[in-house]
Amino acid sequence: MEVKAAMSINKFMKGAVTGWMTSHGEHSDIVMSTRIRLARNLRGFRFPIAFTADEAEKVDSQVSAALLTSGEKGYAYMKMAELPGLERQVLVEKHLVSPQLTDVKRHGAVILSEDETLSIMLNEEDHIRIQCIYPGFQLENAYEHADSVDNYLENKLPYAFDEDFGYLTSCPSNTGTGMRASVMMHLPALTITKQIERIIPAIARLGMIVRGSYGEGSEAPGNIYQVSNQTTLGKPEKEILADLKNVALRLIAHERRSREILLSKSRVALENKLFRSLGIISYARLLPSGEAARCLSDVRLGIDLGIIEDVDMSILNELMIFMQPGFLQQYAGADLTAEERDIFRADLFRERLRSEQQINENNKEN
Amino acid sequence: MLCDNCKERPASVIFTQEGMGGSSERHLCEKCAFQTQMFHFDPSQEPLSIQQFLSHWFSGSESIQPFQQSRDSMPDGPTCPDCKLTFRKFLDIGKFGCPTCYDTFRGQLPRVFSKLHNGHTTHVGKIPDSFNERFALKKKVEEIRSKMQEAIEMERFEDAAALRDEANALKERLAECGNGGEGSDVD
Repeated sequence: MEVKAAMSINKFMKGAVTGWMTSHGEHSDIVMSTRIRLARNLRGFRFPIAFTADEAEKVDSQVSAALLTSGEKGYAYMKMAELPGLERQVLVEKHLVSPQLTDVKRHGAVILSEDETLSIMLNEEDHIRIQCIYPGFQLENAYEHADSVDNYLENKLPYAFDEDFGYLTSCPSNTGTGMRASVMMHLPALTITKQIERIIPAIARLGMIVRGSYGEGSEAPGNIYQVSNQTTLGKPEKEILADLKNVALRLIAHERRSREILLSKSRVALENKLFRSLGIISYARLLPSGEAARCLSDVRLGIDLGIIEDVDMSILNELMIFMQPGFLQQYAGADLTAEERDIFRADLFRERLRSEQQINENNKEN
Repeated sequence: MLCDNCKERPASVIFTQEGMGGSSERHLCEKCAFQTQMFHFDPSQEPLSIQQFLSHWFSGSESIQPFQQSRDSMPDGPTCPDCKLTFRKFLDIGKFGCPTCYDTFRGQLPRVFSKLHNGHTTHVGKIPDSFNERFALKKKVEEIRSKMQEAIEMERFEDAAALRDEANALKERLAECGNGGEGSDVD
């Protein structure tokens, strides 16, 4: 079967790129995005794991009423059960909602800000999950944003809070601050030199956790790792953020040093690897997701090192998201089999690189 | 105590290593612990999930070992009046069912949290404004009530009546805070 793309790549991307996918912010050559998540629950209602449909409805209407009358413009409210499956999947792939929220048998909903830096999940594992994602390394900014939404809500609604245990959450691993702060990092040099395997347990000793970008136990496709705080009890928010910042800065320094060593010790081998990957994503007709992620990581490293020119660095951030099944099918405007997805992924990558070239040629003419 | 490895810096980390002949314990400084850790990483070791983690609860030992037998004879522990979760079930699923569970299992929780949060058992950090206000109001009501009792005992009934009105007004505000919804004058 032959499926043609439903719209041009530029138009598709324009509608799909979210604030955090752009390459802005400090250390954005290594830190792709920063995320803060606050877990909150309302007093007087059981947690989603044990509540009734009636309680779910009440929680939903109280929180959404509070937010939608806040005077903040451009909030969009979406009930998971009312969204088509593909749209739910795309929200997951953009990291705006968790896979757990999209289970339609439950009562999940999400409120998104217009620029999608803020998403508030309702009735996920907890009644309220405030999440802010910013591009680059911006722990303080992302926290301030989440904190201001939290302050607004706590003045409108009675939170479940305990003098000893802090914010009460369904999972004991979130009790206390209810805060999970994480930075998504592209660490190709530490991965190539296998240093990452030794660094991960060392970081665990510092109360932080490193994992593949798709959550617990996952590999790190595209050499992208998520570093986050493991504990939420016994340390104030500011301290947790400072500790995470410290760890991330050390990782950044390690990664930069490894990049320099790679360049000085094996420049030709490195250039060969990176340009081969550029060749694959520029010309391949079938592109499985694992290979696509590996090549994207290489191309991005090439851009960062000044080896590959004329390709924008946001290519990694964007295509890592757009190469996922939900997005590909939205781009195609049809359901796709696994093989069709590989074809479409290859098309998408080639088109994206072609549009890159056109922009560069136009720039040169001007 | 000095570090077992470098014998220079003070030991601050206890490093336990499982070997063929049982486990051995070494007292290391941070620097040596970091290095030792770096060279003993086994990437096949997945971190434990919360459920796995908590289900070792009744195994009687800190180390990880089969726990099936001891679990069968495990007591249910207290039951939450709001969501009917038992402490045993809580350990099984690794989740609380409602805010009241925290009250129900309060006595057991420091041990749970200590394991999950690196030895920490109490919250330090943000406190909701509304909670602060409620807390302050509650204290104030208690204070006024004891003054009122005093006034009654001294037969100063006019004072007592004024104090009673004051306490009632505060209790109304407290109730409003509790609802937290529209009409609350928290701001």
